[in-house]
Amino acid sequence: MQEIRTRYPGYDILKEEDHWDEHTREIVLKRLGPFPEHKFLKHHEAQMIFTIAQHIVYDHRKEILDYVLHHMDNTLSSPVGEDQRKTGTPEQKVLIREGLKAIDKLAKKQYGPPFLEISIEQQLSILTALHKGLAPPMKEWQTIPQKALFKKLATTMVSAYYSHPTVWSEIGYGGPAYPRGYVRVERGLTDPWEAKRDANES
Amino acid sequence: MPTNHDYVLHNCDHYDGHRYNHLDKRKYGDGADICIVGSGAAGGVLAYELSKAGFEVVVIEAGPFWNPQTDFASDELSMQSLAWNDTRLVAGSDPLGMGHNNSGRGVGGGTVHFTGVFYRFHESDFRVKTLDGVADDWPITYQDLEPYYEKIEKDIAVSGPKHFPWGPFQGPYPYPEREPISANAQVFREGCERLGIRSTVAPLAILSAPFDGRPPCINRGFCNQGCKPNAKFSTLIHHIPKAIGHGAEVLSDCMVTHVKVDKSGEVEGVTFVHDGKEYFQKAKITILSAFCIETPRLLLNSACPQFPDGLANSSGMVGKELMTHSGHDIFAKFHDEVRLYKGTPVLAVSQEFYETDASRGFVRGYTFNAHGARPLGLAKNLVSKAGIWGQKLYDIMRDYNFHAQITLVGEVLPDKNNTVTLSNEKDEYGMPRPVVTFSYGGNDNKLIAHAVQKANEILTAAGGQPSFVTPDTGHLMGTCRMGNDPSTSVVDHSCRSHDIPNLYICSAAAFVTSGGCNPTETVMALAARTADHIIEEAKKL
Repeated sequence: MQEIRTRYPGYDILKEEDHWDEHTREIVLKRLGPFPEHKFLKHHEAQMIFTIAQHIVYDHRKEILDYVLHHMDNTLSSPVGEDQRKTGTPEQKVLIREGLKAIDKLAKKQYGPPFLEISIEQQLSILTALHKGLAPPMKEWQTIPQKALFKKLATTMVSAYYSHPTVWSEIGYGGPAYPRGYVRVERGLTDPWEAKRDANES
Repeated sequence: MPTNHDYVLHNCDHYDGHRYNHLDKRKYGDGADICIVGSGAAGGVLAYELSKAGFEVVVIEAGPFWNPQTDFASDELSMQSLAWNDTRLVAGSDPLGMGHNNSGRGVGGGTVHFTGVFYRFHESDFRVKTLDGVADDWPITYQDLEPYYEKIEKDIAVSGPKHFPWGPFQGPYPYPEREPISANAQVFREGCERLGIRSTVAPLAILSAPFDGRPPCINRGFCNQGCKPNAKFSTLIHHIPKAIGHGAEVLSDCMVTHVKVDKSGEVEGVTFVHDGKEYFQKAKITILSAFCIETPRLLLNSACPQFPDGLANSSGMVGKELMTHSGHDIFAKFHDEVRLYKGTPVLAVSQEFYETDASRGFVRGYTFNAHGARPLGLAKNLVSKAGIWGQKLYDIMRDYNFHAQITLVGEVLPDKNNTVTLSNEKDEYGMPRPVVTFSYGGNDNKLIAHAVQKANEILTAAGGQPSFVTPDTGHLMGTCRMGNDPSTSVVDHSCRSHDIPNLYICSAAAFVTSGGCNPTETVMALAARTADHIIEEAKKL
């Protein structure tokens, strides 16, 4: 994964934090850690989430994945609803907790060792099967729908990953823009503080 | 205490960090003239018009009374709290995404996080049965709503083009069109022009010049996360503070759980819960403006011996014919940056494909909005709706800035199988969770296929390479439809229940068909018309 991760190597969104409103700054900077102890996830569950997240967001950096993990724990320990849930799918706490157990069981059944000890290719093959709902039959899938499990894991992880300021810098996102807003919004124009590509890149 | 020059804090019961919490000392605790459940697009307009006319009005809102300066942030993830996050169960072959996708919670409701795109329906939208032989006609026509469309546009200073080429209203709008427009809007207009498709700058409930103590838009781009500068209209910052100024009381963080009927069969008032404690609000007239899921849920949950199938439901139509808009997002990649994060998300539009065209093989039509996107929203849609993750997702997101987007707002025909019903699962208030069932019909799918192809043609003509499509929906309509026949509809032409004369249901829930464009202006016009009707009826007494 050492390919070029950004078209904007010189851009660091955090250099702009003085231009953000206080409320937004507080919210965004908390994503850099340190994070409190997990309220919901047990140690083994957290390790599994961390490893699955590497594959879903295609990134290995601990400082970002720790935030993804924190967000997952926050989501699962929060009393706030989950917007929507398909009939026949258990609530997210049960879906994730029982789902992780099922993933471990599947790894052992298919490959021998538990999920964390199988190869990256084998881990990816399990995730791909869950995504498509094509994992080998196990009684667990009757109460833990595979696709729902994959979707809940993946959307929660992706939501956190693309809320991390380091990732914002890499994709050249302008991020928080209050109170200053944008002056130059038309094609080809940028405000002086926005992400600019290397002059050498075509 | 709030200072007079602070537009939002003035006249509101939310000051110095404290929320109004004296529910035993309510202004109209012994009974109000009118109780409105919900403070969104419809509830806000009703509260303003009716309190201005001298009625004693109480508005009950499930969520908080937001302060844009301290509660809103320039951040997608944290601002998902503006949505109705309570879990809804979803079913059907195309289960709907809820939450931030279509439902608001808190004073202002969905207007707090809507995109501000502000259309009138066309004449044909009210006569779908007559013109196309499907769905049903509304009990009102475009002409019935026309004065209210005009009034709403003036009241909030809608900005838009001098000439709008589609539908009966062709401009000019009260405020000048937005200028400049974003790169994404320019790309869309260039593509349209090359194909001979007409496009315009979007009509928007977002200021292009100062109005009513509020500043013009600064192109921050976070319309869907709550407008911090107050340049975008919401009933939170416009109608509700004015209503409070006219004497209305707003009870926020109060969840209505029951509508109570007396022995004569009229509504006596509503039961609501605040901080775990139950209260009652008595009123001569009750108006439910709680949108398309909570309204039927409340009516069904209020079943009693006199009305065993739920209130206002002698037709059996409460919770039936739920509609959404097909809202597919079509993306293309460009050689140069477009930067979808910049500026008001929708700044250019086309309704060239709005009306039925027999040659296309389906009835009704759609609107195209050139639409911005932010990283979380885009990545989440890619993974949850297009099934893209891992390296592929990463590769697309690395080139986030090089993508342009067009969003479809496609008409969805009403279908009795698309419903809101009650489940056996209970929520924190002890109310049954709703089950929201939705599947597209054949006509809907043909319309989507046509629109996706057209959008790709536009993006290609502008120099882009079509890259991906995320299936999506937007808006909710129906579940308590209007009609002249009490055996097939829930409310009459003025949004009054056929069954219970002092119960009104006024929101997008009353829509008969969905139209093929963003519905907020029609919701507000309908609310202003219902308010006028209630005022006229009161004069007769």
